[in-house]
Amino acid sequence: MGKSLTVWGALWLVLLTGLHGFLNLNWFRGATTGSGGGSAKFGVGFLPVTCHLTCPVTDYINRSTSGEGFYEPMRFNGWPELKEMFLGRPQDMPAAFILAPMAIALREQGVKLKIVYLGHRDGSALMVHKDSGIFLTSDLRGKTVAVPGRYANQRLIIYRELKKAGLTFDDIKLVEMPPPDMPAALFSRAVDAIISGEPFMGQTELDGYGRVLWQAKDVWPGFISCVLAVREDAIRDHRAEIQRLVNGIARSGKWIDQSMEHRMDAAEFVAKGYYNQNPRLLRFVLSKPPDRVTYSRLVPLRAEFEEIQRLAQEAGILAGTVKFEDYVDDSFAAEANAQVALDFEVKK
Amino acid sequence: MNRPASLFRATGKQRREILLPLLVGMLLLTGWHAAVRMSGSDIFPTPLEVLHGLVELAQRGLLLKYIVASLFRVSWGFSLAVVIGVPLGLVLGWFRPAFAALNPFIQILRPISPIAWIPVAILWFGVKDTAPIFLIFLASVFPIAVSSMSAVQNMQQVYLRAAQNFGLRGLPLFRRVILPAALPQIITGIRIALGVAWLVVVAAEMIAVNSGLGYLIIDARNAGKRYDLVVAGMVMIGFIGLILDLLVRRLEKFDEVRWGYGQR
Repeated sequence: MGKSLTVWGALWLVLLTGLHGFLNLNWFRGATTGSGGGSAKFGVGFLPVTCHLTCPVTDYINRSTSGEGFYEPMRFNGWPELKEMFLGRPQDMPAAFILAPMAIALREQGVKLKIVYLGHRDGSALMVHKDSGIFLTSDLRGKTVAVPGRYANQRLIIYRELKKAGLTFDDIKLVEMPPPDMPAALFSRAVDAIISGEPFMGQTELDGYGRVLWQAKDVWPGFISCVLAVREDAIRDHRAEIQRLVNGIARSGKWIDQSMEHRMDAAEFVAKGYYNQNPRLLRFVLSKPPDRVTYSRLVPLRAEFEEIQRLAQEAGILAGTVKFEDYVDDSFAAEANAQVALDFEVKK
Repeated sequence: MNRPASLFRATGKQRREILLPLLVGMLLLTGWHAAVRMSGSDIFPTPLEVLHGLVELAQRGLLLKYIVASLFRVSWGFSLAVVIGVPLGLVLGWFRPAFAALNPFIQILRPISPIAWIPVAILWFGVKDTAPIFLIFLASVFPIAVSSMSAVQNMQQVYLRAAQNFGLRGLPLFRRVILPAALPQIITGIRIALGVAWLVVVAAEMIAVNSGLGYLIIDARNAGKRYDLVVAGMVMIGFIGLILDLLVRRLEKFDEVRWGYGQR
């Protein structure tokens, strides 16, 4: 029994390993596919949200024009896993798109990172159920509101709006929830309102049960939720590569904002090749309205970050032990911002 | 497995074993369909929508890829758990000082859910296949080690005494008496552990791997209103779990093991 079992077990392992290598890891297809990270490509972490759209767009256009991207876009499914990889394996993934307050909080906790560029502007909305009686921020009193996490800027925008309406966090019930779960929670009315980055908010609208209470762009123009953060070691040792990355993000951001046609193209290739979502959903959030989320003004500015920090301190999220220059390195931004949009058209 | 054609030649007992589960399955599916229709939900999928989801996955070539990826991770994690867990359990069951020294730590580590280990797995292994394999290993090594340990501890003394009367000691005693005596209980532990290993595949693939049935479920949550794919992932995990269990049950048919089970 023992011998035959060992043989069968070994065969099973060899067979599965071979199949897995062939089907999922691109083994046996020559070295050009760049599997296994043999070349010196560094990873850039992102989530399938429109806040991080420039990450896959830059990669897609690079691959289409020069045959190969110069970094490895690493898709995660949730904030905790992305953050853990960014903290624990900086040699594999020295850069990531993360929430601005989270980047500042990590810096406060001693993680050596710098925000080098923004990921986007706007692109968040507070959604309520279409049948609910919530029509003003003040109607949220006593209601349950879902936010993506403690260090999400969406939490601060709610704080800011509540304050305008004469309310505080004590007047509502905040719950933390992964954005992908929010639409179902709103549909089943497990929560009264939800807020996160797109496309999860637009999805509730598209499916007919969500109503926009307000768009981030209307209540906090230029709203920043996610930024591109890079580990300081990488900034020191690989300046040229990081500059190239920031330039790429800047150029693809301008490309996205150049025309509605580019936006629709981006929706198509990102939804299919990177996010694995329905292109219709991305087309919706990138066009209705066209400035729902924008990608052109991405230089990190002191006044804006200081406002985020002040609000976060008031809301008790940040300690306030670091300053703008501790967590922002804007030395890449000037060159990046001077770049023109990528020259690229999708072949139809 | 019986093919439908052979159903006519099957005995009453065999027929019952096929027809009864089929009947219950039909009832469950009908109930599911009716419940979705009655609730008016267009978010939760009906069985037919799930089937369409599965067909779509198969057509895109993803179904096979994901099944292979999950089986790959579970096979490696589980094999490592067997290779390490069985000897460890045997040693701990036999040598009392080793048991005294290590058992408290095994009992401390055992109840920690693999989900709690996710951050540690990412910090140690990054997001390649090694991290989920590590999680599956962790989930299955403790049931195997503990069952092997208690198998040796609960062995009937009469086997040992008889062996000692024949002058057996050392490695031959171990190989010819202890291991065979403990085997039925070890196999039961392995069977339970395989169930656990397959159970944690969803949690293990929450890490940013980009393939696998667990990944399919998490990815479908990201994909907007694709709960048909979430349920499709669950259905596939369930069916493969059933097949794996049937395979491991075959182990219990070997003579070396069969004597240890009751006759009912």
